[in-house]
Amino acid sequence: MNIYQSKINFNDDFPLRHPADVMKLDRLGSFHQTRLSFSRQLIDELISNNWKTEIIKWNINSIGTGNAVIKISSKQRIYSLVVFCHQINDDERSDRVIAEKWDMTFSLFLGIPSKEELDEMSKNLKIQELGRHLPKQLTLSRANKSVRVFNSVLNNLSEGKQPDKKMINNIGYLVRTTAVYGNGKFGIADYLPETNDNPLNKPFQAEMLTVYLIRYFSIELVNYLAKEKGKDKSITLSNEISKHVGVGNATGLGMAPFLINHQKLIHKWIQARETAISRVLSIKKLSTYNQTKIFNLIERAYLYTTQWNVDDVIQFKRINVLRKELKDISNNKSLNGLLNNDYPLQNVYLHFINKISIETQEILNSIFIEPFPELLDDLTNEMGTDEQNTVAIGYKVNELIKIIKDKYSWALKIDIKNPDENFYFWYTSQAKLEPRLGATQIDHGKEKQLPFDIPQQVQNALKILTKLPDDMTGAEAMILHPEIRNIIKRVIINENFPFSEIQNNLVGKKVRPIDLLRCKLSFFGATKYDPKSNLWTRITLFQGAPLPHQLQEENATEWLFPYLVNA
Amino acid sequence: MLNVSLNEIYSETYKAYRSVGIEWGIAKDGANLSRWLAEHNFYFLGSILKNADLYKTGKISLSLKKNTFKKPFSAALMGLLLVEYISSDNVKWQGYVYDYKFLIASMAIIAKEQNINLILKCNKTTIAYTLEKNIFLQKDKIINTNYFYLEPFHLKEKLSLNHLETLKALPVPKVNKNCWERLKLMAFETYVPESETSKTGAGY
Repeated sequence: MNIYQSKINFNDDFPLRHPADVMKLDRLGSFHQTRLSFSRQLIDELISNNWKTEIIKWNINSIGTGNAVIKISSKQRIYSLVVFCHQINDDERSDRVIAEKWDMTFSLFLGIPSKEELDEMSKNLKIQELGRHLPKQLTLSRANKSVRVFNSVLNNLSEGKQPDKKMINNIGYLVRTTAVYGNGKFGIADYLPETNDNPLNKPFQAEMLTVYLIRYFSIELVNYLAKEKGKDKSITLSNEISKHVGVGNATGLGMAPFLINHQKLIHKWIQARETAISRVLSIKKLSTYNQTKIFNLIERAYLYTTQWNVDDVIQFKRINVLRKELKDISNNKSLNGLLNNDYPLQNVYLHFINKISIETQEILNSIFIEPFPELLDDLTNEMGTDEQNTVAIGYKVNELIKIIKDKYSWALKIDIKNPDENFYFWYTSQAKLEPRLGATQIDHGKEKQLPFDIPQQVQNALKILTKLPDDMTGAEAMILHPEIRNIIKRVIINENFPFSEIQNNLVGKKVRPIDLLRCKLSFFGATKYDPKSNLWTRITLFQGAPLPHQLQEENATEWLFPYLVNA
Repeated sequence: MLNVSLNEIYSETYKAYRSVGIEWGIAKDGANLSRWLAEHNFYFLGSILKNADLYKTGKISLSLKKNTFKKPFSAALMGLLLVEYISSDNVKWQGYVYDYKFLIASMAIIAKEQNINLILKCNKTTIAYTLEKNIFLQKDKIINTNYFYLEPFHLKEKLSLNHLETLKALPVPKVNKNCWERLKLMAFETYVPESETSKTGAGY
């Protein structure tokens, strides 16, 4: 069922932005949540198909240890979140992926687990990566309490008081996940987009459902423990505050290689986003209702930035600029006229584009897309894909050279002999097999680097190709020179999927891996990016999203830019 | 026996091949072929280990022309490139092949992705062919030679071979635990001890 009924007229005539503009890290690292983000897609699905959530097992004791099973079902499907809560010491609680103990461990399970399956999970979930997991498990995750917030909320509720809103807003969550594994990791089920005709067959829907249910569990847990502690004196967390509670996440480099390894998929994501932007910029007329919506969203975005507080100096400055520019746009006297004319969003876009930061440009794109869900339906269905295993046949050497010179000119301009352009190398660490960034001049292990030195590979391939006959096929060239197989495959994929390649040197001194993380996290629908360095960030997921009992309320789909009044 | 996921098979095979110095692109191709074999219930794990050993000791050929009975062409590593080459250049190829089931996997993958039809023979017997994105093969045929013929297939009708269907719904390959551990040990060779510079700013 489509939850969006109205129709907007638009022409697909506003050109998509060029990959050379979009696929730069400074822009990718400025993306915000949009209606296309996977957490938004999940909530739309839960609303559309009237999913019901029910706690079917609750063996949690008064100190918060034990296990629980939360069932979530539509007419066609049943999944369950299996939860184990553990007692750990404060000094054992770590956000690092290399931690070995957690307050809570989780798995999203296909159907309802039997007693035997629960017993098996009770042994393996708590050890996470060290365990072997069942093929009916769709995800594997763990979380730690934000002890300060959790205890404060618990104490307040047990004494019959709501917690301090300012503290809730500053932290934003009761628990923080440190990993959510999917797609076949450690023996769990593979993600098979072609054979899975289920609602989780879009990218990262199983992971998003896991996090959404973790959020629900965290609120149920604190309410339960408050009741255990305060008995009749206790109250439950208010709807307003509960809705502002998200799930925290600490994300490091583990996420970065995904954007490089899944070329076709990334193209699909970015193309969907760019197409959405193009469509809304092509809208000829805005109703008064939608003009007001745009005004309100700009104002809402401004309010959101007033509650987006970070320590990171670079991001702090960017937020300050964003805040000021949003205020300026909102107060700009020409805004009303621009929105009232033909092609209103295009007018606004062209009027402000050269006067505002990339961060503000991209938040405007999120705002522009927001009121028009009916323009996005087909796009959300196009955001998953299988990666291609073979290289499209038919390319001759001279054509490959032309493509490289045309599509990879950015890579050919890089002086790969300059040590600054080979400053880093990516590798997989022996510690929990996480991707890491080593310094070429200092660290050992470059010979085991991951193939992310795209400019070097492109330039080497071009040298080889120029020595071969023009009419030789690419396939024969790669048989003669297997060392160029990897990059030629990338080049040909990029020829057909232009948003598939990040156009920066990922091993250069200037690279900011945090931009890679933010790009991916924006597609998850993260908010309140809180970088702790260039290598890792904290974020919040599902902050402002409707809780299970609110899914059928009016405007439940609209939760861009979470903001807690009086916080 | 151990349940493993297709994703694990891909990633561990890729790394294991890398650990013996196989080029990135070729290692990825080999991993994709292994994944396909596992998905279709073919024995694959021992073949990967053997191919890696043969590559390491120089007893296997990556050349279309320079292959012999004693040093056959590695279908496990070069199978995808070979089917792309035959399809691109519209040529017939023949040669000594090590582990022809990887050719079957290669034919199936390119058929599905690019709708290209090929036929594999040994002597005068058809072993497998692809048509309309499907692969048809004599699954239990005993092959006494390692010399094969692979060429474009232009026939419009099915030959009388069994139809191999893609397995659906939570395929869970089972593998020999010892072989899997050996593969993982090889994969481990590609990992690097974390340096102090890597730790800086990474949240330690």
